[in-house]
Amino acid sequence: MPLFCCLVRDPASPSAPGALEAIARACSPRVELHGAAAVVFDVDGLTRVRGEPAKIAAEVRRLAANHGLTVRLALAKTAMAAWLLAHAQPGSTIAAMGMAPDADAATIGTLPIHVLDAVPGLAEAGTVGPSRRRPRRGHFHMASGPPASPARALAGVLATLERWGLRTLSDVARLSRAELHTRFGDLGVRLHQAACGEDAIPLVPADVAPRFVERLELEWPIEGLEPLSFVLARLSDALSAALARADRGAIVVTTRLALVTRACHERRLELPAPMRDARVLRTLILLDLEAHPPAAGIDVVEIECDVAPGRIVQGSLLARAWPSPETLSTLVARLSALMGETRIGAPLCVDTHDERRCAMGTFKILEKGEGQRAEGRGHRESSKAEGRSGLSIRRFRHPLAVRVTAERGVPVRVERRAGFGGGRVARVAGPWRTSGHWWMGDESAWDREAWDVTLADGGTYRLARDRRSTQWHIEGVFD
Amino acid sequence: MGSAVVRQLESLLRTRHLDSTLAKAWLDAPSPAVATTGQISLDRALGGGWRRGEISELVGARSSGRTSLLVTTLSAATDRGDIVGLVDACDCFDPAGAAACGLDLSRVLWIRGPSVTAEFCGRPLIETVVRRAIRAFDLLLRAGGFGIAVLDVADVPARWLRSVPMTTWLRMAHANEGRDTVGLMLGEAPMGRSARGATVRVQATSRWTGSDIRQRCLSGLDVRVNVASATRLADHELQLTL
Repeated sequence: MPLFCCLVRDPASPSAPGALEAIARACSPRVELHGAAAVVFDVDGLTRVRGEPAKIAAEVRRLAANHGLTVRLALAKTAMAAWLLAHAQPGSTIAAMGMAPDADAATIGTLPIHVLDAVPGLAEAGTVGPSRRRPRRGHFHMASGPPASPARALAGVLATLERWGLRTLSDVARLSRAELHTRFGDLGVRLHQAACGEDAIPLVPADVAPRFVERLELEWPIEGLEPLSFVLARLSDALSAALARADRGAIVVTTRLALVTRACHERRLELPAPMRDARVLRTLILLDLEAHPPAAGIDVVEIECDVAPGRIVQGSLLARAWPSPETLSTLVARLSALMGETRIGAPLCVDTHDERRCAMGTFKILEKGEGQRAEGRGHRESSKAEGRSGLSIRRFRHPLAVRVTAERGVPVRVERRAGFGGGRVARVAGPWRTSGHWWMGDESAWDREAWDVTLADGGTYRLARDRRSTQWHIEGVFD
Repeated sequence: MGSAVVRQLESLLRTRHLDSTLAKAWLDAPSPAVATTGQISLDRALGGGWRRGEISELVGARSSGRTSLLVTTLSAATDRGDIVGLVDACDCFDPAGAAACGLDLSRVLWIRGPSVTAEFCGRPLIETVVRRAIRAFDLLLRAGGFGIAVLDVADVPARWLRSVPMTTWLRMAHANEGRDTVGLMLGEAPMGRSARGATVRVQATSRWTGSDIRQRCLSGLDVRVNVASATRLADHELQLTL
C-alpha cells in the first residue's frame, strides 16, 4: 500500500533553509520539493521498518524537532491527500488507511474548498484547454474576455463553485467530472481529482545535487608545494573524470588544506569559464597556493568544485583563434604569480578630469563588436575637438620633481638632474589648469597647471606645477 | 665542390630544423603573414607590416614617436578583433591617451611592472624589473592566441639591457616561431630581434602650431623612420607624420 508524507513548515516556526529537505531525505530517497516551505516524500518502505503510520509520523516529528522546526505533517495514500491535509490542519494528521480506494477522499472530504488554492500546479492547469463552448446565461465561461492569469483563473473557478453552494471537498467530489470539464476545461478535471485526493501525476523525486569533492588524508604531513603538486595532480585527475562524466565544468574551485596546527587554509578560485582539464586545474591551484602558501605542514587536502554545464565551442575556420579560457586562466595565474595580482588586467579609463589617473579591470575575452570601441571613439573625437594630436604620452606614475626657472609664470629653463638632461625650454604651450577633489578636504585634492615643453635636448615633456605647493614636476614624456 | 659542401650543410641544417636562417629558405617560403602597423608607408617599407611569428623591434630615444607608432599598431590589431598583450616594464602606459588614439582597451592584456623610473633605481632593482618583464613576455608568446605581444622596455636604459644574454632573445624568437603572434619590443636601442624580424629606428622632431604662447599647441611629431631587416639588402628610410 503506497504511503506518502507531506511536511509543511508551520508559519510560526523560524525559517531554516534546507531543513525540510534534510528531514525528508533522512526518511526516504524519493523526495519532491515544493519550495522552502513544503516537501512530499514516499514513506512506503518505512512501514516495514517502523511499523504503523503513527510511529512514522512520530519519528518524523522527532527529526523536525531536532532541526528546531515546528511542522505540520500528514500521511495519506496519495501525495495529493497528504498535501491537502498538511496544509489544512495543524499538527499531525493520518488519513484513513483502509483498503477502500476512496479512503483518502473520506478523510479530506470535510476540508474547506479554499484549500485547493494551495495545490501545486493547479493554477497552471487553468491556462490549458479552456472550454470553447458557447456561453449560456448564468454560466461561467472561461474563454470569454481577455485571458486571465493562472492564479486569477483558479480563484475565479473556486469563487464560482462557492456561489454554487459548494463548501467542502466532498461537495466538489460529488460533482460529475465530465460536467466540470465541460464548464472549466482541464482545470475542472484537476480540481475534481484534487477534491477526490487523486494524484494527477506521480511523485517527481528531486535529484540530489552531486558534489564534486576529492579529499586525501596524508600519512605524513607535506611541507612544500612541490610534493603537494603530485597530490593535487591525483585529485585533479579524479575530479576531472567526475566532471567529464557529468558533463560539467568547474566554475569555482575551493581548496581546503588541513594543517598540522589544526588550522584550515582555504583558497577559492573563481574561473572565467567552466573548465575540467586536470592539468589546468592543478596548475591554477598550485599557482594560487604559491602566491598564498599555507603557514604549516599539510595533513589533509580537499578540493571542491562548484560546477556549471560544460561549454559547447564551435571554432571558426576563418576567424583568428583566441586563447582558450583554460589557456588564458593559466596565463593570468602565472603572470599574477610573477608580477602581482593587482598588476594584470585590462586597462580602464577613469571618468575624471585628472588625466593622470587610470584603473585596471579583469581581463576577459569579448566577442567582436563588444568592448570599449564606442568609448575609444568618444575619446578620439573629443581629442580632435580639442585640437590635440593622437600623440601618446609615457606617464611617470611617480612624477619627477624638478626645479624650473619661470619668467612671468612661463617656464624658460628646467634644471638638470640625474637621469634627466634638463636645459633651456625651446618651445612651450600652456598652461592648462585643472583642479578637483577639493571638496573632499583630503590629500586626493589637486590643483595644477600643465605645460607642454620641448627642451633643448629634443625631448617633449608634460610639465606640471602644483598651484598649492608651487612645486614643478615632469609627469610624462610625449613619445 | 663548394656547392656540394653547401648543399650538404643545408641538408644537415634542415634535418636539425635549423634552416630558418638560410637565404634560400626565405626565397622559397610563401609570403609571410603580417600585421599592419596602422601606417601605410611603414607597412610598405616592412613588406606588408610586422611579420607574425617573428620578433621585431621599434627603437628610438625619448620623444621619437615609438610609443605613438606602437599605439597605432595596437589600435589596428584591436580593430581587426585581435587581442593584444602589453608588458609594460616600468608602468608608463597611458590608457586614456591610447583610447583617444582608437585603441580598444578591453582587448588589451596589460601587464604592469613596478612603477619605477629606471634612472633612480639601483642595479638589482632594475635587473629584477627587466628579468620579470622578459619572463612575462615569454609567457605571453608561449600562450599563443595574441595578435601582438609587446615588451615595452623603452624606459630602461640600453646599458642595462645589453647585459641580457643573447640566448634569452634567441629563446624567445624560437618560442614565437611558427605562431600567429607578432612579437614587438620597444626600446632605446636594438636588443635582439629574431632572424626574420625587422628593426625600426625612429627619430622625431615635435611639431607645433600657433605662434603666440596662448594659441600654441603641440600638434604632433615628424618622424624619420629607418627600417632594417635581414631580408632586405638596404635599409629603408621614410618620413611619417604623427
